[in-house]
Amino acid sequence: MSRYFRNIAESLSSLLTGMGITFTHMLKIKKGNVTLQYPEEKWPRPERNIGFNHEDYNVIRSRLTVDINDCIGCLKCERICPVQCIKIETEKAPVRGEDINEINHVGITSNGTNKVQVVTRFDIDMTECCYCNLCTYPCPEECIYMTGGPNSKKHPIDYEFSEHDRSDLIYRFAKPGTKEGIQKVKSKQGAQS
Amino acid sequence: MDGDLMTINMGPNHPATHGVLRLKCQTDGEIISGITPVIGYLHRCFEKHSENVTYEQVIPYVDRCDYLSSMTMDFGYVVAVEKLMNIEVPEKVEYIRVVMAELQRIASHLLALGVYGMDMGAFTPMLYMLKERERILDLFELTCGARLLYNYMWVGGLSHDLPRGFVEMTYQFLDQFEPKIDEYDNVLSNNKIFVERTADIGVLPPDVAVNYGVTGPNLRASGVKWDLRKNEAYSIYDRFDFEVPIGEGIKGTVGDCWDRYYVRMIEIRESVKIVRQALAKMPKDGDVHKAVPKKIRPPKGSIYSRTESSRGDLGYYIISDGTPTPSRVKMRSPSFASLSAISEISEGWMMSDMISVLGSLDIVLGEIDR
Ligand code: SF4
Ligand code: SF4
Repeated sequence: MSRYFRNIAESLSSLLTGMGITFTHMLKIKKGNVTLQYPEEKWPRPERNIGFNHEDYNVIRSRLTVDINDCIGCLKCERICPVQCIKIETEKAPVRGEDINEINHVGITSNGTNKVQVVTRFDIDMTECCYCNLCTYPCPEECIYMTGGPNSKKHPIDYEFSEHDRSDLIYRFAKPGTKEGIQKVKSKQGAQS
Repeated sequence: MDGDLMTINMGPNHPATHGVLRLKCQTDGEIISGITPVIGYLHRCFEKHSENVTYEQVIPYVDRCDYLSSMTMDFGYVVAVEKLMNIEVPEKVEYIRVVMAELQRIASHLLALGVYGMDMGAFTPMLYMLKERERILDLFELTCGARLLYNYMWVGGLSHDLPRGFVEMTYQFLDQFEPKIDEYDNVLSNNKIFVERTADIGVLPPDVAVNYGVTGPNLRASGVKWDLRKNEAYSIYDRFDFEVPIGEGIKGTVGDCWDRYYVRMIEIRESVKIVRQALAKMPKDGDVHKAVPKKIRPPKGSIYSRTESSRGDLGYYIISDGTPTPSRVKMRSPSFASLSAISEISEGWMMSDMISVLGSLDIVLGEIDR
């Protein structure tokens, strides 16, 4: 009998303790303590500086993007990807490091490397990507990276992209028409010589 | 009725199964007479995949096995490969790894305890605990950009050095976090209703636990002092001063659900201690990429290496045939052993107690199914 009442007393007191804690939390309410109204408000992303020193490295995880003018087609990113969602095809350029105006090909990267290859296809299937960031480290030209953060001037952050059609999530970075263009250029040169 | 047993299916989609798990419960009225867990709903061919990708490409897959404790999973894997290749890791890397693993342990236990409280009908503590967990995830995001699946630990090093201000921010976090633990004790651990639903329920005796291969907090709650961080100190765990908490049966019997819950609570405190010590002793400079091999190509041979993940004894058996691709990666999952003991410990209890037992085991299905 006494146990019965003791149980009731204990339950009540522990309930009151709990209520007390929640009540103090309620009084201490401030911004950041309450639900964020998501699409209107967003949690700020931590910022790190750009740079390829390890301390400053851009470590954001979002949509991948490629500066195709800088890409030398070395396939390093394609090989490291654990899910094989990067597909690259290249074609040997007629003259190393020379612009090809017909297909808007830039011969020299912003780091000053003379390109040997013309990238005719550079597809990243973002539906397969697991955002592991492995592809961004080995790139010698630092031209494949995730949007936003320190890169936001070039590419604002984009981590909430959706499309009606799945195939629209395959991002094609090579300039359209490069494949046919380079063949035409080559055959023209072949005819001239 | 004449003793007919009824089969009740719980899951594969059930809010209390913590993932996609199906439990076939044989019940006599409301009393359970046997449970058959049906697993495999989250099978992702981790082991087969690993045979087709290189050593460094396995790490994102390892992350995804126990998605609530990715850092400790990575830790186990990289330690195994480093042993296989005989790599000596820089001091600084070791310290950063310990800090990350212990923060991850806190985060994982917070989630486990919060969700356990929610299973038992206490919703508010979960919100408080998840709030603190978010802070930890923010720290991880600052470090490596990801909040859940980090790919942060590499064989021989780390993907990045710590960002500027990380140490101060972690101290700040710990300072505001420590008083919260007492608050959790008040709001949940000593709550009478919670205690009534967990104390003396689902007792796992130490010999049964050992026979089933149960490890981690579940084993320690049964009174067995076994923690790989102490008993087989890998990495640099022998340099830290911390206790291995065991279940003492404060509210009921040793090895009951409440003990399993409370051992995790004390472990959070111990992890906080380790993080503080590691931050204080961490060398200021050092290149985290120094020991990262250009090509990961271990010599022919095999290794079994085990570490203590948030859920217990996590083992990796790796066979190398001298190529950049592992010939076999086998993972010993701690949750698998914990789950297999569920039939034994919930027999004779009511259906609602089974929820209590399942929650207290803190399983992650991603790791069980792999
Ligand atoms: S982030 Fe990872 S999965 Fe995605 S494209 Fe790069 S390497 Fe592949
Ligand atoms: S690693 Fe960089 S340069 Fe090489 S193919 Fe990929 S994006 Fe182009």
